[in-house]
Amino acid sequence: MQYPVTQINPHVKFRRNRILPISGTVLVRVGQKVSPSEILAESSVPTRHILIDVFRALALKNMMEAEKVINRQVGELLETHDIIAETGGLFSRVIRTPMPGKVVSIKNGQVLLEVESRKVVVQSGLNGQVVEILQDRGAVVETSGTLIQGVWGNGAIGYGPFVTDPAGIEKELTSAALNITARGAVVAASWCESEESLLMAAELPLGGLILGSMSPRLIPYALKQNFPVILLEGFGRIPINEEAKLALLENMQREISLNAQKRDPYSGTHPEISISLPEESAPEKTSCELQTGQKVRVHTSTQTGQTGVLTALNPGKTSLPNGIKTDSASILFKNNEKAIVPLSNFDIIQVEN
Amino acid sequence: MATLLTEVNSVLGIEIGTINTRAVLFDVVEESYQFIAAGIAPTTCGEPQFDAMPGVISAIQKLQDITGRFLLDLNQKLIIPSHGGVEGVDKLLLTLSYGPDLDVATFGLLNDISLEAANRLARTAPVRIVDCFGINDRRSFQHQMDALLKARPNVLIFAGGSDRGATKSIMRMAQWIASALQIIPAEDRPKFLYCGNRSMSRRVKELMEKVTSVQITNNIRPEIETEDLNQASLDLSQLIVKEKIDNTNGLERIATYCSDKPMLTGNAMQRVVRFLGKQYDPAHGVLSIDLGSAHTTVAYATSTKSSFFSLPIGSGFGLENALKQSRIADFEKWLPEVLPESQVATYLWQKTLFPASLPVTQDDLNIELALAHHLIIMAMRELENRQELRSRNFEPILVGGSALTHTATPWQTLMALLNGIQPVGITPLVMDKHGILSLLGAAGRTNSLMPVQVLESTAFINLATVVTVHSKARPGTAILNARLQTQSGKVVETTLEQGNMARLPLAFGESGLLFLDPLKKIMIADIEIGKEPIRVKGGVCGLVFDARGRPLLLPADGELRRNLFWKWSNQITE
Repeated sequence: MQYPVTQINPHVKFRRNRILPISGTVLVRVGQKVSPSEILAESSVPTRHILIDVFRALALKNMMEAEKVINRQVGELLETHDIIAETGGLFSRVIRTPMPGKVVSIKNGQVLLEVESRKVVVQSGLNGQVVEILQDRGAVVETSGTLIQGVWGNGAIGYGPFVTDPAGIEKELTSAALNITARGAVVAASWCESEESLLMAAELPLGGLILGSMSPRLIPYALKQNFPVILLEGFGRIPINEEAKLALLENMQREISLNAQKRDPYSGTHPEISISLPEESAPEKTSCELQTGQKVRVHTSTQTGQTGVLTALNPGKTSLPNGIKTDSASILFKNNEKAIVPLSNFDIIQVEN
Repeated sequence: MATLLTEVNSVLGIEIGTINTRAVLFDVVEESYQFIAAGIAPTTCGEPQFDAMPGVISAIQKLQDITGRFLLDLNQKLIIPSHGGVEGVDKLLLTLSYGPDLDVATFGLLNDISLEAANRLARTAPVRIVDCFGINDRRSFQHQMDALLKARPNVLIFAGGSDRGATKSIMRMAQWIASALQIIPAEDRPKFLYCGNRSMSRRVKELMEKVTSVQITNNIRPEIETEDLNQASLDLSQLIVKEKIDNTNGLERIATYCSDKPMLTGNAMQRVVRFLGKQYDPAHGVLSIDLGSAHTTVAYATSTKSSFFSLPIGSGFGLENALKQSRIADFEKWLPEVLPESQVATYLWQKTLFPASLPVTQDDLNIELALAHHLIIMAMRELENRQELRSRNFEPILVGGSALTHTATPWQTLMALLNGIQPVGITPLVMDKHGILSLLGAAGRTNSLMPVQVLESTAFINLATVVTVHSKARPGTAILNARLQTQSGKVVETTLEQGNMARLPLAFGESGLLFLDPLKKIMIADIEIGKEPIRVKGGVCGLVFDARGRPLLLPADGELRRNLFWKWSNQITE
């Protein structure tokens, strides 16, 4: 049985597919170096149309007549007041475009104009190199360095120098701790419980925010922010796990990329923190069998956010303190405490390549 | 040795859920179909494997370990048909509930009639309704078109017109849908399901086929007063199953082994409930609630009508939706102990991130049970809103979903069901512990014998028979003496007080005669309380009496409420 590996890995080579939801134009080429905010592909989604009913507006006798007087083709770009249809003759009547647009359909004596569209883009989300083009859809970007996967993200992408020191990463995020030196930088803190802190972070603004956890009350505030917010452990007052803390602190002042995309178990996407490093690393391992000796992180109940080593896969079913019987493993935590944890309550964070 | 009843003896059912995959074996034992065993493994359709096959194989291997019967050959291929009844199986069935919800836009003529019927049809499937369009839509044509393009649905459902009704409005609407779809690149266009006026089917098909793939089904409103969602619901589900098979690795391979078309779990469950609705007392309804990780599915049927829907709320993947529609106080009020609101909110939101996680402490378990209470209440509210529920007099209530059948104790499940459903009359509560109800529904398409015989077996666990007594007496007043004479001749008695609960022991598999002696004026739904004893069946929790009143009114004061929970819990476990 293969289990997913959550990447909290200081040195790894990894690839990410960046794909548009609809067909579009790819703007990069293989071998090109890209930054996190670099647009790899873009497309346009029509958002507003207007329908011009030539048949009715000109009070024509039949559809055939309407089709005859429309002197435009599908795909044509029109400016304001361009003529769409004209009856001709001595007392010619005309219909003009009320605003610029593109003719998308001519049918039943009606002309449909696309007058507004929204650009849809896909960004790189990390510093790396394009290794493959996905025709009309996007590209595959590869990089080597530190990769830390989070459990929740607010949907934004950003980057900046990582400025938090070992003392700051242990503390709660407060508005007092955010000063002008953090403008454009990526900051990490144990947890956040006040909306003032998030608003202060937005005012600076930060380049990105990494938290162990935050109060679920702050979800709507975090979702509104333009800078990326990534939670590494979840909701509540859970500090950043030891392995992630070490990996982050190794990269003080380095540029760090945050892709705070929503976690989606169906597609396998996670919010991700990445730091490109010059040295080559072993490729990412995304799944493995459960084995003793693996580093794991508990994500539910009393030991949430604690990392340790899997010391045994317990035979049969284990009775939990509340009476539930389930498959479990024994874990030795960093503080030398031991616990029996259901298999469904922890994830593997590192495996030997 | 198995006796051949039909050409098919052994049947393997695979149910691929959001969290778990189950492999369930049925076979003929002593001339009737029996549930043999079930193997469970984590579903592997999502990360990291993105392939349904490893989860299915793992579940079958667990089933092999339990039964000692070889179902897979050395290459891990299913042995089908069976070899002499000792290796492999004769038939494979597949039901599915895994996968993200599809986005659906509904179209109808009149908002209150066909559009509402189209929405009800959509709610029978695990889909999200992203927009609705009717002929009385106040938005301009352009705005409607923009809304449709923005919503980017996967499926369009178009209902409208009785079979001898509107034609012009249907064509007009079909034309605008076709125009809108032409703007979308061909590969991104939604599929189209037509369930309106049958006389227009051919013309609508001809028009729509030029722009997208079209499925025509029965008119869901063949007459203005009649609504029939059954065939359309099946066709919609097949459309969704196909989408799931196309988008999930491994399902196609499994489907090729199947003896019948794979079904959505909810539709298969509804099939059994409809069948049961015809078997039981026409005055009562059969109710089934499946509390899944992603969806809560409800099926209700009487001898003449049925109702079925799937809500996108659940105990894991669907929890975020449930939280968005609720206040933390809605969950908190069912807790038997005081817990800070922040702890409840944090636990539930953390569970949205790790839907497969298990509660470890008693506090965690209490929160999960409070969640189960609230999900059942939300489901019952929806059922009541549909105005198809004659009364809360059910016989029986079937309940599934691991939050209730595996996580909780039978007593905890019983309380969640009684508090959430609040049945009246005499109600057998039955637990689908092995998750086999939907597989029986899938089997019933080609083998009507199997569901009938398995339903009569001990595969389903009777949780309790509940007698709900209504009285206007003051709380604490003795209202009823109940005497139970078991099959073995043992006699037990209890006195029920207004506002309280009581229990008499009657084991699962046993039955008995219940003699009721009212001390005050009481009502037990439509049951005539006289000298004639009532035959009742036992369950894991025995025979339970509930005189707490309907609707169940809880004190607003937290401490009083929690004291009541403890009192009721003690009364049924004593």
